[in-house]
Amino acid sequence: MAQVHLKNVSKSYGALEVVHGINLDIDHNEFVVLVGPSGCGKSTTLRMIAGLESITGGDVLIGENIVNDLPPRDRNISMVFQNYALYPHMTVGENLGFSLKIAGKSQDQIDAAVAEAAAILSLTEYLERKPGALSGGQRQRVAMGRAIVRHPDVFLFDEPLSNLDAKLRAQMRVEIKKLHQKIQTTIVYVTHDQVEAMTLADRIVIMRDGHIEQQGTPLEVFEAPANTFVATFIGSPPMNLLDGIVQQDGTLQLGGGVTLNVPQQYTAKTRPGQKVVLGFRADNLMPCGHSLPMEGESAEIEMTVVLSEPLGTETLLFGALAGQEVQAKMLNPRPVSNGERMMFNLDLTRVHLFDGESQKSLR
Amino acid sequence: MDINLRHRIRARLLKAAQMVTLFIAMSIICIPGLWVVLNSFRPTVEIMAKPPVWIPNELNLDHYRAMFGGVGQGGVPVLQYFTNSLIISITSTLIAILVGMAGGYAFARYRFKGKGAIFIGLMLTRAVPGVALSLPLFIVMARTGLIDTHIGLIIVYVAMNVPFTIWLIDGFFRQVPRELAEAAEIDGCTRWQAFWKVEFPVARAGVASAGIFAFLTSWNEYALASQLTRSTFSKTMPVGLRDFTSEFTINWGGMCALAVLMIIPALILTFLVQKHLIAGLTFGGVKG
Amino acid sequence: MSRLKLPQWFVLLLPAIIILSAVVLIPLLLSLYSSFTPYRLTRPETLYKWIGTFNYEKAITNANFWAAFGRTVLLLTIALNVEMLLGLGLALLVNRVTWGQRGLRTLMMFPMMFSPVLVGFQFKFIFNDNVGLVNNALQSLGFSDVAIPWLVDANLAMFSIIFAEVWTSTSVFAILILAGLFAIPRDPLEAAKVDGCTPWQTFRHITLPYLMPFIYIALAIRSLDVARAYDIVQIMTNGGPARRTELIWTMIGRTGYVDAKMGYANAMGYISIFLAIFFTIYFFKKLNAARTELGMGG
Repeated sequence: MAQVHLKNVSKSYGALEVVHGINLDIDHNEFVVLVGPSGCGKSTTLRMIAGLESITGGDVLIGENIVNDLPPRDRNISMVFQNYALYPHMTVGENLGFSLKIAGKSQDQIDAAVAEAAAILSLTEYLERKPGALSGGQRQRVAMGRAIVRHPDVFLFDEPLSNLDAKLRAQMRVEIKKLHQKIQTTIVYVTHDQVEAMTLADRIVIMRDGHIEQQGTPLEVFEAPANTFVATFIGSPPMNLLDGIVQQDGTLQLGGGVTLNVPQQYTAKTRPGQKVVLGFRADNLMPCGHSLPMEGESAEIEMTVVLSEPLGTETLLFGALAGQEVQAKMLNPRPVSNGERMMFNLDLTRVHLFDGESQKSLR
Repeated sequence: MDINLRHRIRARLLKAAQMVTLFIAMSIICIPGLWVVLNSFRPTVEIMAKPPVWIPNELNLDHYRAMFGGVGQGGVPVLQYFTNSLIISITSTLIAILVGMAGGYAFARYRFKGKGAIFIGLMLTRAVPGVALSLPLFIVMARTGLIDTHIGLIIVYVAMNVPFTIWLIDGFFRQVPRELAEAAEIDGCTRWQAFWKVEFPVARAGVASAGIFAFLTSWNEYALASQLTRSTFSKTMPVGLRDFTSEFTINWGGMCALAVLMIIPALILTFLVQKHLIAGLTFGGVKG
Repeated sequence: MSRLKLPQWFVLLLPAIIILSAVVLIPLLLSLYSSFTPYRLTRPETLYKWIGTFNYEKAITNANFWAAFGRTVLLLTIALNVEMLLGLGLALLVNRVTWGQRGLRTLMMFPMMFSPVLVGFQFKFIFNDNVGLVNNALQSLGFSDVAIPWLVDANLAMFSIIFAEVWTSTSVFAILILAGLFAIPRDPLEAAKVDGCTPWQTFRHITLPYLMPFIYIALAIRSLDVARAYDIVQIMTNGGPARRTELIWTMIGRTGYVDAKMGYANAMGYISIFLAIFFTIYFFKKLNAARTELGMGG
């Protein structure tokens, strides 16, 4: 159990800087997920915390101590790797107990710790096998078990689920969450999958190009994205974004002759002539008669459906609005034929406006 | 800060120590070769000088001139040796590649009984020490009149190179997915066409490096050549090196010059294939 | 009557089998036979006189033979081990270099390109007591004022020979082990660091098990042509002076060609063949065991 602090940490490879002075404070027992597209510096950041990458500038603190130049073994961390990183020449039991053996623990202590970890992860019957004889999900569990036997200060996960199939991934997600509740340790978790981030995190840190774009609880980043990048990255399907210009009369002119009122909560924050980006989620654009009751400001929009994806309880509708593709959601679905023109309700209380230049939220 | 600083200093020192060690190791690797090259340009007086001359006063091409000068002035028929080496090495390499490709392909693509045993058997033929083999070969060659001929040596070198060529080429063909040839056959190729048009081009780099390895083995071989060749017309360069030794003296400068002539082709070829060679050896062996 | 149809694999292997039979198998059978005769090159009729195991008995009771045999095993053991350790060290060092590694690798292969006979002459020159590089350097630097008889003193001569042998062959190990280092996945190494290993522990518990197959491949390849050492020894000392560096191979060569006692030489030759085959099979066995250990078998 420990806090982790990154103070203005940067990383360069030669002249190329990949992490640009990030600041991050992680609390005791907090589950923090670093999420972002590949190449955003999230793995590098994790590896700098682990001590597997040297840091170019700034300070990394674990607990009270600056650990900038300490090797991983002196940081009391453990890590689960993307490719499991099991030792192929050792049995599952030896894999689990390896770190304790290195630490010079007695065989009794090792056996007890291994048995405990194996029980938590239901690996007891596989202890004598070699990793080569295990399935992907089992290997994943061994990798996690290897991390928990040591009771480290900080747990680091580097895209641990990305090699599993969808079903197993959902299952392991739950197991990781349970594990966190059971063992109460600070966790830093890296993934490119926003669903994992949303479901697991106490706090999400969204990164792009070596910068932190936004951090907050899953609901905060979902409800109030700081900029268009976060808006499209978090949430599925991604938020619809439409370019527009604020008019003198307080309306918002989108392309293709579509006009809306500037939502009330934004009127004070925009000025006429300003280029803006309108953002809304599919959940807030629903066909009339197939939507939730709208309270407050809303707009009616007519749109041609290009394609529909029935998902059972709801149907995703793809249409073209102001020259761009948008997605809408239909509750209590009925069959929709391609090319059908429908009226939609847009819930203006839930839309977002971003500045057209900086792409930052105008909230 | 103190503990971090200590770790940083230790890491720096370790790095420096590694660099120094590496430098010394590389020097030991390079100096003997450079010494030979240097001495091929130094006049004999300077090579033999006592106390030694460290900074050369004079570098010239005298040894090379004498070497190519012909037999008359105590020279060695280097050009003839060079030609012999070239003919024997190239011919034996080409044959070894063809034989090795057939064999390697058989091991990579077919399943048959006793495969492992046959493979080990072929490899073990390579383990027979040259000198032990040279005795009976000498008798056989003498009987068949192949002694002191190019053909005799070519046959021997083919046999010497085939096992290793098979090993390397087997490894390379195994890297070519079986589906590739199957796809070609479905596309209408015969098995023969599928091999030449699809599998061979993919494994070509590997075959080339196997060839160069075979060439180098033939080019450098001494134990057998020294017994199976007698005259100028079939002696190869490694055997020719001995012409610079007489009962009590050795013409070091001349020998160094011939050595340089021997090394240069080997150097170029090895440089060309080093990457494939390593890949071939390890794939052949590890993914067994 | 249908034509006999040979399986394809056999047809493909046939050229290899034929040429190896002609050049290796048949001569070996001949030498096996002649080892039971008092065959002398100068007297062909002796080939038809059967003397049983006389030659083998003569070899086995010959103290010189056993001295050479022991020296050969000693040389092989020392040389192979030293080469392996130095090759491992060199590969680890080169692996840490981030800049100019390709160039270093090429330099490392330099000695492999040298013909063994050339290596022999090269080191005969370098260790020459009068004009050699080593003595010149020692004398110029003032470490020694006499000419050290590198190739004449029994121990020094063995040292010089091993040095030459190690010089040419270390790179075989280094290159193959380096390839092995490249093939190690990065994750387990990092996992070990996180698990608390010091660099030495990481090497001992993770790197080394991964490298074992490569080390055994190198040993197997080397044991396939250990007899290359014959070229070096023959040039550097030719077993002399006074048999002090006699190896089993130089002894065979001398007995066969200089003394012309082919039958006797062939008997000793057979003993040397078994020695080589023993080493090769031993390392192939080890290789397979190491591969199974890592789950790479099949």
